[in-house]
This record gives sequence, structure tokens and C-alpha cells, in this order.
Amino acid sequence: MAGKKYNTPLIDDLEKGPWPSFVTEMKKAAKNNEMANDALGHLEKCYSTKRGYWKHGGIVGVLGYGGGVIGRYSEIGDEFPGVAHFHTVRINQPSGFFYNSKALREICDIWDKYGSGLTNVHGSTGDLVLLGTKTEALEPIFAEYSSRGWDLGGSGSALRTPSCCVGPGRCEWSNYDTLDLTYALTQEFQDELHRPTFSYKFKIKSSGCACDCVAALARADLSIIGTWKGDIKIDQAEVKNYAKKMDINAEVVNMCPTQCMSYDGKELKINNAECNRCMHCITRMTKALRPSGERGATLCMGSKAPIVVGSLLSWVIVPFIKLEPPYTELKELIRKIWDWWDENGKPRERIGEVIEIKGMRSFLEAIGVPPQPQQIKEPRKDPFMFYTDADIEGFKAKEAEEKKTGKYKF
Amino acid sequence: MEKEELKNKIYAFCEAAKGKKKLKEKDIIKGVSEAESVPGDEVKKALREMIDVGKLMYSYGGGASSVEIPSEEYLREKGLIK
Repeated sequence: MAGKKYNTPLIDDLEKGPWPSFVTEMKKAAKNNEMANDALGHLEKCYSTKRGYWKHGGIVGVLGYGGGVIGRYSEIGDEFPGVAHFHTVRINQPSGFFYNSKALREICDIWDKYGSGLTNVHGSTGDLVLLGTKTEALEPIFAEYSSRGWDLGGSGSALRTPSCCVGPGRCEWSNYDTLDLTYALTQEFQDELHRPTFSYKFKIKSSGCACDCVAALARADLSIIGTWKGDIKIDQAEVKNYAKKMDINAEVVNMCPTQCMSYDGKELKINNAECNRCMHCITRMTKALRPSGERGATLCMGSKAPIVVGSLLSWVIVPFIKLEPPYTELKELIRKIWDWWDENGKPRERIGEVIEIKGMRSFLEAIGVPPQPQQIKEPRKDPFMFYTDADIEGFKAKEAEEKKTGKYKF
Repeated sequence: MEKEELKNKIYAFCEAAKGKKKLKEKDIIKGVSEAESVPGDEVKKALREMIDVGKLMYSYGGGASSVEIPSEEYLREKGLIK
């Protein structure tokens, strides 16, 4: 394989500084791989002409699957033949991104054989993203990975590969088994993952607590955020230890979003009825504070980046749900959510947008979730109240009855 | 309806939309189910069998996935024709 054949002054600039550089890594790959080498030259040309030359989409994929491969072609493939086809392959990552070195070596060896050798581990979807291969290599790549137990991830108008935080694998604060849930949902919804049937993409991300290490609340159509029902237990002796090294009032009490805490220099108190389980105090004083009581999750719905309408954050739909195998209640709810979206969504409308258009009321009615005060859209705004025509008729009838009996009061 | 006949109906449905409308999988299931008075699940099953053998294929464009009749180029690439 030839050494550097492109002069790349602009992208060379991205190697400066103390941080890791993707250009440096691409150059390493380019020593052994013509596709990676041409990708370098192509990128330099994009920078120097201030144009992207990539075309996206089309009919690439493996037989029977509607996702997992994202077709990319270069408009200037004649000049850079190594990147004339430069398809992306998404491999479904294990829950919580746990691998051993054997697994990683296996993935990279296959990729070196058929692709550019360049990877993005992990992509923002959570998948192992393998960057750059040719159309004719797709079936052999799939055959090699699937024979070793790997599968493609989601793309297009389908369920995207569910992802989660490390959960109980490495974190004591996880309120449910994010790893097991993600695996269970991935297995349950294989059809929805590999065969695009939706109006647009649908992402499920699971975080074990409100620290939300996978940023589910901002990225997932269904954000599953771990929470608990009991009080925050306080170890006052440990609070005293923290007081020696930090300003508890400034760093914890005054930062509490619901102002449910107080500290008089001797004792920390929490009004648990006002606590919204944001995790801030617990992460600042891990030895002194600890959740207690029943564990589960809050289900939030509808976050997305801006495309049809602006970006949205997820919105609480189920304040508390127990999450234990086989997760039947959650799976049934997800299917009801998809049915409503399918009935009401237009192409390229994410579910959050459809809820904005059709209203949370019609959404909640369709999925059979009752309206609850926790379903506020934004903090410190009134909960919205639902009154159906039948409710109003009932109120009127009751009012008329009370007027008759003299019980009616303004 | 026999499965092969149903598959022919599905294929004809896709052929009629070719170049006019990008069909989602559910458009086909709904359309053929209504037109032929066949349960949606049967249409879905037949449709997926057709996709699995390359009679139809998934495509992607403009941010959305669709089901199409495959091009010769695609069939050749998959080794389904010479």
C-alpha cells in the first residue's frame, strides 16, 4: 500500500493541540488502506473547496434488511476511487458498551478486511459505526459479522438500536437494570429494528438515574430514566465530613432545583415530598446521601433534534413504572405508542412533533395513560387538565343537581 | 387467496406506484389489504417473504425508508441474476 500521496495542509492543522486527532488516526489507517488514504485526500478537497461531495441514501443494504447500512457515494469518485462508494455500516453494540479485547479485535479485523479500517466507536446512535466500504463488500461483511454473533443496528425509518448507560454493571445509582432492559427490548423489537415500518426514526435510550449518562432526555423519542419512590437517606456524620471540604449550602442546597433542602451548619434536612429526584445532591455527596424505597423509572416521550420543527426535550408520560423482566407492561405500552404514531404521523414526523400537533391529550387517551400532575411540560408550569365532552356534561349535570338540592356554591 | 397470488397483487401494487409515490411498508400492507380484502398480517408476511428473496427491497431517500421493486443492478449485486 502506498504511503501518503495527498498534500493535506488544511486537515494537518487538526492534528495540532493536546487532544486526540481523527486526522492522525486516519493517517495511520491510510498507511495500510487505500480507502482511508483516499478519504484523507477527499477530506482535504472538501475543506479547500468548502464543499461536501457526499451523496447519501439509495438502495444499499443487505438482503432482507432495511437498515444498518447507510449508503454514501462521492460525486468525485473518479478523482478519489477509494471513496467512490464509502458506505457506513452500523453494528448493534452490546448493552452498556461492554466488550472484551477479543471482541474488539474481531470487529476490527473484519473491518480491515472489507472496509476502510476507519471506525467511529461509538456513533451518537450508540452503534459501532464502521466508516467506508464498497457495495459489493456488504453481503460478505454481514455474513462474517453475523456468523460471529453480531448483528446490524438500526437506520432509516425504523427503531434505532436501543442504547443505555452502563447501569448496574458499573454504577451503584442505577434504579433498574438498564443493560437487561436494553437487551430485552432489542430482542423483542427485532422486526422494528431491521425492517423500517415507521414514519421516521424512533429511538429508545435508557438511563439508570436522572444523571442520564446516555442523554436520553434530549435525544430519545422514548427516554427511560431511572427513579425511586422513597426518601433520600441522610448520613449526618458523612455530611459533617463533606462540610470540611465543601460549601454545602453553595454547592448543594442552593443548587437544588426544587429548593427542598436546608443546611444550618449542623444538620442537612430534605423535604422529600418536594424532591424531584434530580440526583444533583446525591452526586455531590455520594457518601452522605442515598435513595431508598421502590425503584423503577420515569418514561418520557418526544425528544429530538431540529428537522421538521425545532428541537424538543422529552416530556413525562408515565411518572413511575416498575421495570422488571419480562417488561410486559413497557413492551405493550411501546406498541400502543407506535400504533398511535402510525395512525397520526406523516412521513418524517417524529413522535414528539406529532404529539405537539395532535396534543398530549389525544396521545395519552390513545395509549391508555391517565393524565397526571407529573406530566407537566416544563418546570413550574401548571399541569394541563383534560376535560372531555363527557366530563363537561357530567359537571353540568352535577351542577344542575346541586342547584336543585341547594348544595351548589360558587 | 393463495400466497403466490397475493404476492403478485403486492408486486402489482408496488409497480403501479413506481416513479409516483414512495411506498412505506405500511402503505403496501394497508393498500393491498383493503383492495383484496385480505388480513393485514397475511399481506405483511407475504411482503416480507418477497423482501427476503429480493423480489422487493427496502430503499432510503430524503430521510425516510420505503419499499421498492429492485433494480437490475441491485439484483446483480446480490447474485440474484447474472
